[in-house]
Amino acid sequence: MSEESPDQIIDRSAKYVFSFFLSSAGLWLLAAALFAYLAAAKLTDPYFLSTCEFLTYGKIKVAQANAFVYGWGGNAIFAVSLWILARLSQAEVRGSVFLIFAGVIWNLAITFGLLGILDGHMSGHEMLEMPSEVWPAMLVSYLIITFLALVIHRSRQIKETIAPQWFILSALLWFPALFLIAWNGLELNPSRGTLQTVLSMWYGQSLIWLWLTPVALGAAYYLIPAVLGRTIDKYYLAVFGFWCIAALAPWSVLHHLEGGPVPMWIPAIGTVMSIAMVFPIAVASTNFHSTAFLDIGKVWSSLPLRFVIFGTLSYTVSSYIGVVFSLPAVAKITQFTIINEFHFNQRVYGFFSMIIFGAVYFALPRITGREIPKAAKSFHFWTSTFGVLLLLLAYLLGGLTHGVLAGQPTLPWSSSVIQSVQPYFLITKIAFVILAFSQFVFVINVWRVIFPNPFSCCFSNKKEVSA
Amino acid sequence: MSEDQQKSRNLSNPSEFSDEEIVKSHVELAKFKHEPTKNFLKAPLVFVFVFGCLIFVCSIQLAHSTNSFQLHPPVDVVELTAEEKESMRLEKKISSGEKIFAARCASCHQANGMGIEGQFPPLAGSEWVSADAGVISNIILKGLKGEISVNGVKYGTSAAVNMAAVPISDREIANVSTYVRQAWGNDSVEVTEEFVSQVRSEHAAKQDQWVGDELRSMFSDSFGN
Amino acid sequence: MNNLAKFILGIFITLGIAWLAFVVGARSQYGDLQPTAESLEEDGSVPVDSDLFPTAFSGIAKQGAEEYAALGCVTCHTQQVRRVEAGYDVDRGWGLRPSAPRDYVLQDHVLLGNSRIGPDLTNLGSRGHTNEWMHQHLYEPQSIDSSSLCPPSPFLYQEVDEPVHSDIEVSSKPTGGNTLYVRPSVRANRLVAYLQALKQDYELPEVSFVDEEMEESTLVETTQGPVAADLSSAPTWLQAQIDAGKEVYMKAASGGGMCFTCHQTNGQGLAGQFPPLAGSDWVLGDKSRLIKISMYGLMGEIEVNGIKYNNVMAPPGIPPGSLTDDQIANVLTYIRNDWGNSASAVSAEEVATVRASLKGRAPMQMFTAPELIPPVQ
Repeated sequence: MSEESPDQIIDRSAKYVFSFFLSSAGLWLLAAALFAYLAAAKLTDPYFLSTCEFLTYGKIKVAQANAFVYGWGGNAIFAVSLWILARLSQAEVRGSVFLIFAGVIWNLAITFGLLGILDGHMSGHEMLEMPSEVWPAMLVSYLIITFLALVIHRSRQIKETIAPQWFILSALLWFPALFLIAWNGLELNPSRGTLQTVLSMWYGQSLIWLWLTPVALGAAYYLIPAVLGRTIDKYYLAVFGFWCIAALAPWSVLHHLEGGPVPMWIPAIGTVMSIAMVFPIAVASTNFHSTAFLDIGKVWSSLPLRFVIFGTLSYTVSSYIGVVFSLPAVAKITQFTIINEFHFNQRVYGFFSMIIFGAVYFALPRITGREIPKAAKSFHFWTSTFGVLLLLLAYLLGGLTHGVLAGQPTLPWSSSVIQSVQPYFLITKIAFVILAFSQFVFVINVWRVIFPNPFSCCFSNKKEVSA
Repeated sequence: MSEDQQKSRNLSNPSEFSDEEIVKSHVELAKFKHEPTKNFLKAPLVFVFVFGCLIFVCSIQLAHSTNSFQLHPPVDVVELTAEEKESMRLEKKISSGEKIFAARCASCHQANGMGIEGQFPPLAGSEWVSADAGVISNIILKGLKGEISVNGVKYGTSAAVNMAAVPISDREIANVSTYVRQAWGNDSVEVTEEFVSQVRSEHAAKQDQWVGDELRSMFSDSFGN
Repeated sequence: MNNLAKFILGIFITLGIAWLAFVVGARSQYGDLQPTAESLEEDGSVPVDSDLFPTAFSGIAKQGAEEYAALGCVTCHTQQVRRVEAGYDVDRGWGLRPSAPRDYVLQDHVLLGNSRIGPDLTNLGSRGHTNEWMHQHLYEPQSIDSSSLCPPSPFLYQEVDEPVHSDIEVSSKPTGGNTLYVRPSVRANRLVAYLQALKQDYELPEVSFVDEEMEESTLVETTQGPVAADLSSAPTWLQAQIDAGKEVYMKAASGGGMCFTCHQTNGQGLAGQFPPLAGSDWVLGDKSRLIKISMYGLMGEIEVNGIKYNNVMAPPGIPPGSLTDDQIANVLTYIRNDWGNSASAVSAEEVATVRASLKGRAPMQMFTAPELIPPVQ
């Protein structure tokens, strides 16, 4: 093509980085799906693979969460953030070699971390179960990527910034801060007693609220106007929404310790701030949904946007449910039940992953110049939607059963309480099979576009110009 | 930017809402918050109201549930009647006495208070125990030597026996005596710490152990014969 | 929002305030909690000579905690008893009282957990389960509770064809309920030691037992449970003898030895009154003397580690002098191998030989020290 628009130049500069992060994210997604299936299968049949020491339920469950958050989540965040930042800054992605180098280190660190978990070197700290030997590699590679993301942002053409940039930049910067705090309090100057739990839970939960969530929100703030061709409705609220999340979210996560061996103010503040989170949630959902419903037909016809709106709806619903479940009277029943699984999966599957899927389907054709077959995308959408809803419903109903029965002290634990929850485990197993299938389709979709001809690797043919 | 302009741009060529336009139009939106309108803007008012309510609810919740930022949860202060307090006090005293007995007395007198026939006299049902509290206190304080008869059976000590070879406090003596006097079917009044310390000071000068008859004559009234 | 430096400052300030509260604030509030007595004096000081709680895990239990963390047990098991108004934990009998921050200050791995697919384990060590029960449960939970969802851990055990008496008997479900014998690995023993050490059966000044009746019943179970947390690395046959001996030593009911009332649970005795067993030249020395004392008791002056004692030790056992050959062999093996002692085991045959040699002696006739010490040649 003789004449390239600025967007196309930017897309071309992001091509290798985006493709690298996205294809590794896809592999992690499949790994996480495999772990999720194994864990669910072990809950329905305790003898399943019980002779393998490196595949105990505890290890698999943890490996799944880590593969999902750091592997899939981390790589997807790098891919989507770099591209959106570059597009909004109207600046090219520079230092691709360093980005890919850092990405390789990040992925190697997580691989060794997961192997460490399976080999029995789990630390026991929430979302930091990987052995501490890999933490430095993770931090260093992350800082390289963040630094280069900031370079893109600094070279922006328009001085003013808008919501997607705030959310994505702050997510990129919060993670290393959280990581350093947790590292210091757990390894370098370890705290005693339940302070360890306070810190690791604060880290683990903040990771979801201050890392995955803002990136997904930022992507939604970008994709909705970009696809619909209209500005965000009541956009002036976005700035309040952003600062409310920044100010309230790190306070709101510790309500999980309600009733536990910590000073009462810690979970109490968590509960109160969870209630206050109603405000930023309302802002985001107003912004997204009142914009989307101005042109609902277009939302429906655009597959990326369908993913995004599913994600934002899921965000709204799950966050409100989260607020209700954090109230002490309700927590009495729901605490320690598989409702925790509901929250985690709602956030990482129903919200974060769905929006990332949308962003990928939006960006990929622009970056590679190759379209993904509509049927394949549509198939992915319906299977993942069905899988997620089935999974969440099973965890929600199962969790309520779990909590209500556990609260009756005369019922024996495993023969009565857990047995009544077991059918829901079976449903989650089916849901994880569906989700694994759906994610497999996603990865195939992505890889077919990135590597259209796997036998002549496209990296060897750098002169090829995308359409 | 007027609403019409905005709309026309949106609709004119929606699929080509480029990134530059996204940024610029949103920046404009952020700068000009008030779209020209005659009515009140309802949305911000609703949000201000919601936010106000939230702050109100949250402060009440905070005041109620943070336990004044104390480290430890509040201890339930149960208002007890004088009777309950008294029985709790006695219960504690006896359970403390039981522990002292197990550690220091049971090796000879046995946990069941029956002693060992021909060797160690029983405490259960013994007239020496049910006699005046001074008897048991004096024995524990100074020890016993020679021959005594308990419930008509004679027990002899070839050597003098010190019940309290290791120092024992008045309080401990009071507790263990009370336990002995109320366990295994015994039913005598409790021994107070003050009483023991009075006994201790009364006989502070005494160096050797008591002889059975000495005590029997001192407290002849309470032996009942 | 447009100035990057100010923006970054802003987002770090919001995060920093929460960090100040939850990390710095919480740490300064209770980062240096220390063990304390069950109740304090009125002026708030720790009473003299009182036992301090919580106590530290033994070395092997600490190693067990590592295993527990590495296997991911925390994924399904919590270790926290919630306050009464916050949950059903106390009603379920999972603890005598809510857990307090102080309970965890000596643990390297604080594994409170956040999910209960399995029951809470805060007080597992107080539930009176034997080590054998624990091993059976680890090897195959379903052999004890067929409805359990807990995955078996057969990789911690070795199946044996010719069992010795310390091996664990399991009726395994996959083999159709056949009985098989498994030998615990070192790691399994560590885990069991850790699980047996999990207990919050003491009160703290800030938190007392919720229901007094429950305290009694659970504590009785505890003292009767054969617990030898810190000895599990001994060979299995010796371990079994030590476990049985500890039971005799600790049992204060008919058929027991009730040794601990005088010699104390830590084997230290009481200064000036009851001689120590830990490090005692009598305990570590000639076995036949020990056997004789265990049958007939001891009275009069005796010198232990250079210190003189003059007291009466009635023939041990409830009723006195009732210990069987097996019991004497076990309890002597126990006292020769706990509290840092390490000496050869005593067998029931040795006891029988000594008993035969004393055939003419009148029952309950206590020994004196000169009788037991052979005159200097």
